[in-house]
Amino acid sequence: MKLLWDELRAAVPLIVHGDPYLVSIISFTLQVAAVAVLVATVIGLPVGLAIGLGRYRGRQALALLANASLGLPPVLVGVVLFLLFAGHAPLGPLHLIFTKRVVFIAQSILALPYVVALTAAAVQGLPPGLPGQARALGAGRRQLAVLALREARVGVIAAVIAALGTSLSEVAAIVIVGGNIYGYNQTLASATLYEVAGAQFAQGLAIAIVLGVLILILLGGVSLLQHQSGGIRLRFRPAP
Amino acid sequence: MAFLWEQLRGGLALIWHGNPYILSLTWATIRVALVSTSIALVIGLPIGLVIGLGRFRGRRALHILANASLALPPVVVGVVVLLLLLPQGLFGSLRIEFTLRGVYVVQAVLALPYVVALTPAAIQGLAPGLLAQARALGAGRRQLSLLALREARIGVLAAVIAAMGATISEVGAVIIVGGNFQGYDETLASALLEQFNYTANDPYETAIAIVLLAMILLLIGTLTVVQQRTGPINLRFRAA
Repeated sequence: MKLLWDELRAAVPLIVHGDPYLVSIISFTLQVAAVAVLVATVIGLPVGLAIGLGRYRGRQALALLANASLGLPPVLVGVVLFLLFAGHAPLGPLHLIFTKRVVFIAQSILALPYVVALTAAAVQGLPPGLPGQARALGAGRRQLAVLALREARVGVIAAVIAALGTSLSEVAAIVIVGGNIYGYNQTLASATLYEVAGAQFAQGLAIAIVLGVLILILLGGVSLLQHQSGGIRLRFRPAP
Repeated sequence: MAFLWEQLRGGLALIWHGNPYILSLTWATIRVALVSTSIALVIGLPIGLVIGLGRFRGRRALHILANASLALPPVVVGVVVLLLLLPQGLFGSLRIEFTLRGVYVVQAVLALPYVVALTPAAIQGLAPGLLAQARALGAGRRQLSLLALREARIGVLAAVIAAMGATISEVGAVIIVGGNFQGYDETLASALLEQFNYTANDPYETAIAIVLLAMILLLIGTLTVVQQRTGPINLRFRAA
């Protein structure tokens, strides 16, 4: 316990005194998370809704595919991106490899399956009569989508928060395509890996603590939302 | 496109000829997945049953805590476990830092939340009257646990497969605790990351990526097949 305690004592001043390296990593991490979640939401919400609400052939297969993509190891995503962006690779001329931009791209791709699969699941979990009734009353696609989003909002927000969590804590893909370059394109998670690999335990622990606190704040948000979900279900019970 | 094709051919050739490095990585990954998932199952299943079946105060809080621990960033878990396992740490006398055993431990810690959080979720999804009826008919704790396990077995199996998938894909914690020594305590995923740090684009990476992808697809496939069979099992609860 003594070692953990000693390292903790060394780590806390680093956070409290606003070590400039740490501050720059925090700001980059927040940028990456914001961009990744935004991109994943803008692309993923319509796709998730189309899978959850659509009535076309192959919808089931698409839902399966979306769920399966959640299980893809991030290392593999990193490898595929590397093979696309590396020097001689098809997209090599874009010169994205080992830049900040490619970190944004990788985390957006990893966040996308969460939004797609969990939005589809949330919409499919609505009472079966609801979309049917709205359709029967003449709702168009757009109205139907808005209705489903509003009613399944707890699930959709949980999906977005899950995407945010991944973009904060995932390391594998960004280390491969970003190169984990010190002070340039490191996030909190990849910087932790970097510091610990270099036996800088106090630095590593300081960064890990900040990351842990960020995640805790996120989790607090999720559990608050889950508590509210009861009230939303109630609205569907038949009016007395 | 020639670049991608070249990579793929090189990788497949290595797998086809049973390259010893690839084989040893695969074997290490299978061992880590089996050992750490088993540890997580032995410790987590009783806890999951208590949370799922118990009728004590604070049960909900425990379930929220279990769900929250699913979102812990693996790098943070890795740093804490490493600081406990280092010679000066609390469990330093075990001398398992930077070994495959250390990797078993940290992976088991990461797999535990899946079993603990998803088992109660599976039990709560059972037909509501079932457990109450068993209690009313005089089932003891043990009989009740066995009944719940048997009836929620698909959900529990899904939890185990999710845990196994996470162990196979994890890199951050493995590198931090294991130190990623080539051919000694590397898994497929962590080796993939390490290879990219030194020599980008040689056939080993492609070969490792293909094996990793095959293992994950096998797991996801198993899960899908198992989940599609859920129907007949639920049927058994409808009026005999």
